[in-house]
Amino acid sequence: MGRYALKRIVSAIPLLIVISFLIFMFIHLIPGDPARLIAGKDATKADVELVREQLGLNEPLPIQYGKYMKGLVTGDLGYSIKNGKTVVEAIAPRFEPTIMLTISSMIWATIIGVSLGIISAVMKGKAVDYIAMLIAISGISLPGFWLGLELIQIFSVGLGWLPTGGLESWQAYVLPSLTMGSGIMAILARFTRSSMLESMREDYVRTARAKGLSELPVVMRHAFKNSLIEIVTVGGLQIGGLLSGSVMVETVFSIPGLGRLLVDSIKFRDYKVVQALLLFFALEYIVINLIVDLLYGVINPKVRYN
Amino acid sequence: MAEMKSTVNIQNFEDAEALPKPKSKVKEFVKKFTKRKTAVISFIFIVLLLLAAILGPYIAPYDASQADYSNLLQGPSAAHIWGTDEFGRDVFSRLLAGTRLSLASALSATIVGTALGILFGLIAGFYGGWIDSLIMRCCDILFSFPDILLAIAIVAILGPGMINVIIAVAVFTVPSFARIIRSATISVKESLYVEVARSIGCKNWRILWVHIFPGTIQSMIVNFTMRVGTAILAASSLSFLGFGANVTEPDWGAMLSQGRNYLNTAPHIVLFPGILIFLTVLAFNLLGDGLRDTLDPKMS
Amino acid sequence: MKNYKSIIAVLLAGTMLFSLAGCSGGKKDKDSSSKGNQKTEETGKVDKDGYILKGTDTESKSEDNDLVIAIEGSVSSMDPANIPDTNAISATRGVYENLVQFNEKNELVGQLAKDWEISDDSLTYTFHLNEGIKFHDGTDFNAAAVKANYDRVVNKDNNLRQRRTFIVTNDDGSEEPRVASVETPDDYTVVFKLTKAWSPFINRLSQFCIISPKALEEYGNDIMNHPVGTGPYTFVEWEEGDHTTMKKNDDYWGEKPEVDTVTIKEVPEAGTRTAMLQTGEADFVYPMPVDQIEAVQDTKNLNVLAADSNIMRYVTLNMNLPELKDEKVRQAMNYAIDKNAYVQLMYSGYGKPATSVVPQIITGYEEQPAYDFDLDKAKDLLKEAGCEDGFKLTLWGDNSTQEIKGMTFVKQQLEQIGIEVDVEPMEPATISDKIYVDADEAEVNMWYVNWSASDFTMDGSLRSLLYSSMCPPVSANTAYYSDKDFDKDLDDGLTNADSDAQAKVYADAQKRAWEACPWLFLGNDQVIYSEKTYLSGVYVSPDGAFNYAHAALAQ
Repeated sequence: MGRYALKRIVSAIPLLIVISFLIFMFIHLIPGDPARLIAGKDATKADVELVREQLGLNEPLPIQYGKYMKGLVTGDLGYSIKNGKTVVEAIAPRFEPTIMLTISSMIWATIIGVSLGIISAVMKGKAVDYIAMLIAISGISLPGFWLGLELIQIFSVGLGWLPTGGLESWQAYVLPSLTMGSGIMAILARFTRSSMLESMREDYVRTARAKGLSELPVVMRHAFKNSLIEIVTVGGLQIGGLLSGSVMVETVFSIPGLGRLLVDSIKFRDYKVVQALLLFFALEYIVINLIVDLLYGVINPKVRYN
Repeated sequence: MAEMKSTVNIQNFEDAEALPKPKSKVKEFVKKFTKRKTAVISFIFIVLLLLAAILGPYIAPYDASQADYSNLLQGPSAAHIWGTDEFGRDVFSRLLAGTRLSLASALSATIVGTALGILFGLIAGFYGGWIDSLIMRCCDILFSFPDILLAIAIVAILGPGMINVIIAVAVFTVPSFARIIRSATISVKESLYVEVARSIGCKNWRILWVHIFPGTIQSMIVNFTMRVGTAILAASSLSFLGFGANVTEPDWGAMLSQGRNYLNTAPHIVLFPGILIFLTVLAFNLLGDGLRDTLDPKMS
Repeated sequence: MKNYKSIIAVLLAGTMLFSLAGCSGGKKDKDSSSKGNQKTEETGKVDKDGYILKGTDTESKSEDNDLVIAIEGSVSSMDPANIPDTNAISATRGVYENLVQFNEKNELVGQLAKDWEISDDSLTYTFHLNEGIKFHDGTDFNAAAVKANYDRVVNKDNNLRQRRTFIVTNDDGSEEPRVASVETPDDYTVVFKLTKAWSPFINRLSQFCIISPKALEEYGNDIMNHPVGTGPYTFVEWEEGDHTTMKKNDDYWGEKPEVDTVTIKEVPEAGTRTAMLQTGEADFVYPMPVDQIEAVQDTKNLNVLAADSNIMRYVTLNMNLPELKDEKVRQAMNYAIDKNAYVQLMYSGYGKPATSVVPQIITGYEEQPAYDFDLDKAKDLLKEAGCEDGFKLTLWGDNSTQEIKGMTFVKQQLEQIGIEVDVEPMEPATISDKIYVDADEAEVNMWYVNWSASDFTMDGSLRSLLYSSMCPPVSANTAYYSDKDFDKDLDDGLTNADSDAQAKVYADAQKRAWEACPWLFLGNDQVIYSEKTYLSGVYVSPDGAFNYAHAALAQ
C-alpha cells in the first residue's frame, strides 16, 4: 500500500511542474498591458515605462520564470499589481467564502442527489424514476448563471424571502448553493442510480432477496454499501471541479471568493495572482484525485497492483 | 425401441424464401429508440431547431437587428410575442436568428474536437510508447482544468470572436474522444499484432480503421451528443463573463448577458434566451441518454 | 402510458411557471407601454435642487448612528498617494485631508491651508496652514509634515502613482520636476516654487493628502493598512473586496462629525444595493442605476439625486484613415447620431447630450452649436465628400455591458447613412495593447471611450486627447488630431493663471475641436445616487467621489 501511494504521489510531481510551466506561459501569452492600466489614462508613455520597470515586467521571460519557480519553493508568490499587497494577502481572505460555499453546495447536492438516485433505482421504470431522472438531467442542462439570476429574480426580488447576494446570513447561502450544487446533484443522482442498478443485479443481492428479506433493508444494506465506494469516488472528483467552478456563482451572487478573484485578476492582468490561483486550483484537483485514488485502492485491493 | 418425443420445435420450411428474414439493424434500432418517449421528443425538438436554424431569418416576424427606440424593453404582447429588448428589437426574431449562430458554433466546435480527439487517440494507441504517454499526460492536464477556466484561458489569449470560442470549446472536447479511440485502438492493435508485423505501414491504418470504428461508434455518438450540449453551455457562459463572441449578433448567450441589467424591469430578456438554451441542452442530453440506452445490448 | 403523461405534465408545469415569471414582469411594462411616449417624456426630470425623486417622509429616523454606504466598485487602496480610482479617493477622504479641497459647490477652498497666495509670475505658491491640528496619533500637523509627505511622494523608490503629478518623465527617460523647491520658513507656512508656470498645480494639490510623518516612518509603504491622517474619522479596518470602516474622530479640529461610524460596503450587483437601501441595511447608495429608479418610485423614505459629472463620452475617429480624412465625412457622422436618443437609451434620460468637447462642469466650458440629428444633412455631406456609398469601419471599446450597449447604438445610427460598423468589444488590457502602438502600426478606426479629468481643468480634459504630440504611443490622442493653433491655445492656458485670459483661449480651443469633429460627440453622464431621507450631508462630487465629512443621521 505504501509503495503504491508513494508511486502515485511521485508521478504527480512532474505533472505539477509541467502545469506550473504551462500556467506561466499562458499568462504571458495573453495580450494586454497591465502597466498602462495601472499607470492610468493620463499617463504618458514614459510614465508607463516607469511602471513597467517597477513591476518587473521588462525582464526577459526566462528570468521571470526563474524567479517564479524560486518563489514557489520559498513561498514568495510576489505582489499583486493592483495595490501592491502580497499575493498571499490578496488571496487569503477569499478562501473562506469559496470554501464555505463549496461545502454547503456539496452537502445538499450529495444528500438530494444520492437519495434521488436510490429512489430511482428502487422504483425503476415507475413515474418516480422518470421524474427524478428528469430533474437530474435538468441539473446538468441548466446554464448555471441563468439559474442563479432567475432564482434571485423569483426569491429575492419577487418574493423577498432571501437576500440577493453576499454571504452574511444562512439565508444568503441558499440560492448560491442551489445554483452551484445543481450540476453535482444531477451527476450524483444519475451515477448512483446506475451504480445501484448494477449492484442490485449482483448475485448476492438476489440471494438476500431469495432469503425472503424485504426490499428496503436489502437495498440499503447490500446494494448501497457496494455502490457507496463508487459514489464517494465520483463525489470526491466533483469537489475538485467545484472550487474553480465557483466563478459563475460568485459573479452572479456578488460573493468575494476565489473564482471571482481569478476572473477579475485575468481582466486586470494581475499576473502573479492569476498564476497563484491557477496553480492552487490545479494542485487541489490533483491532490483530491490522488486521495480518491488512494482511498479506492485501499478499499478495492484489485486496483493496487496495476 | 421407444421413440423419444423431441422437445425441440423443428420448423419445416418449404423453401428458402419462407425463412424468416434477418431483422434489419436499422429497423431494430428505430424500434428500440421509439420506445423511449423522452428521446423521441428530444429528437423532434432538435429537428425543429435545425429547421429554425435554416429557415429562421425567413420566417421571423421582424428583422433581428431592427431597432425601435420607441418600444424599448416592452414585455410580451400581441405585436412582440416574446417582447423587445433594450434597443426595441423583437426578442423572438432575434432568438430565431440566433439559433443558426448558436447551433452552428456548438456543432462546429464539437466536430472539430471530435476529429482531433480521434486523431490523437489513434496516434496514441497505435504508436504507444512515449508518444502515448505524452498525449495522455496532455489529456490529464486538460482534465485538471475545469471547462470554463480552460475556455476563459484560451479566449483570453486568442481574443474575442466566434472562431476563438469554437477553438476554445473544441479543445476541451478533445480528451474524452481521444480516450475512447485510444483504448479501442490498443485493444485492436493487440489482437492484430501478428498481422501488423507482417503488413506494410499504410495497410495498418486501414485495418485499424475498419476494426476500430464499429466498436466505438456507439460511445462516440453518445459522447458527441452530450458534448454538443456542453458546447452550447460553455459558449453562453463565456458570453456571460464577457469573453464571448460577437455581441451585436443575436447569439443566445450574448443576449442573456446583455439582458442581466434589466432583470428587475424587463425579465423577459433574460428568461427566454435562458429557457431556449436550457431546453436545447436538455434535448441533446436526453437524446444522448436515449441513444446510449438504445445501443446498449444489456438494456432491453 | 403513465410515464409519458407524467413527463408531459412536468414539462408543462415547468413552462407555465416560467411563463408566469416572465409575464409578471412583462405586464408591468405593457401597462407603461400603453402610455407610450409619455413614459419617455417623464424620465430624465431632475428638479433644480438635483432631486429625481424626493421622499415625502421627512420625519424618518435612523435606527442607529452608523452610516453605511454601498458602492458598486471597490476600494483598491488606502494609500492616498497610490490610488487609481475614485472609490479609493472617497474612502481615504474620511481619514485624510489636503491643503485645498473642492467644496460642495465645486469651488476650490482651503482645507488644511487657511489661505494662499500665488505670485504674479505664477511660479511661487505660498500656503498659510491652519494651526492647532493634530494627526490621529497625536503628533502635530505643520509645515514639516507637508514637506515630509512631498519628499515621500517624489522619492522614486516608493513607487507611488502620485509622483507623476510632481515629476514629468520624458520619452528619453529624463525627468523634469515641476517643483523646484519646497520651503518651510516657519511651522505654518509652506512655499512651493515651480520650475515652470503650471496652472493645474493648485487643483492637483486637492489630491495630495497629508499623512502623519511619524506613521510614515513607522510603517513606510505599509501605511495603506494603517492610515493616520487629520480627517474627521479615524481608521478602523479595511477588508479589501468587502468593506472599509472608520469611526468618529472625537479630537477632530474642525466641525465634529455627527455619526459614530462609517462603513463603505462593496456591492457589485445593482439589485442588491437597491434592496439594501430599502431594508435600511444601507443609508446611501452609489451609483444608483437608472433602471432601479422605477423600482423605488413608491418608497416614501428615499431620495434619488442627480448631479453633473465630469465624464465625457465620445467615439474617436482616426483622422489618418482615408475614409475619415475629410472633415465633411466626420461632420456627417455627427449629424447622423441622435444624441437625445443616446441619452434616453443609455441613461433613461438622466444624462446630457454633448454640447461641447468637454462637460459643462469644466471651468471654461462654452456651449457649441449643436449637431442636431438630421439624416438628410448627413447624407448630403457624405455625397459632397464623395462617400455616398458609405464604407466599413471597426469600433473598439470595453467589453462591459454598458459600453457594448453604447457601441451597438452607434452602429445602428451610422447604418442609417450607409456606414457599416463592426463592433469589437475587448478587455481594457487588450485594447490598451492595441491602441498604444507606433503610428505606422496603428489599427484603430473608432474607439468608444470616455474621459474624466479629476482636476476639473480644461487642460486635464483635453491635452491627453487632442494635443498633437499626444498621439499613441505617448498618450490617448487616437483621433490623431493635429492643429497647431489648438495646441497653442492649450499651452497659453496652461501657463497663464489669469482666468479671463484662460477663458478666451479655451473658448477658441473648444471651437476649433468642435468644428473639426475628431470625435463623434455623444453625451455626459450624470452621477446618480440614492439615500434615505433621514440622512443628510453626504453627496457625490462630479468626479464620482463621495463625501461624508458632514454626514448626519436623524435620530
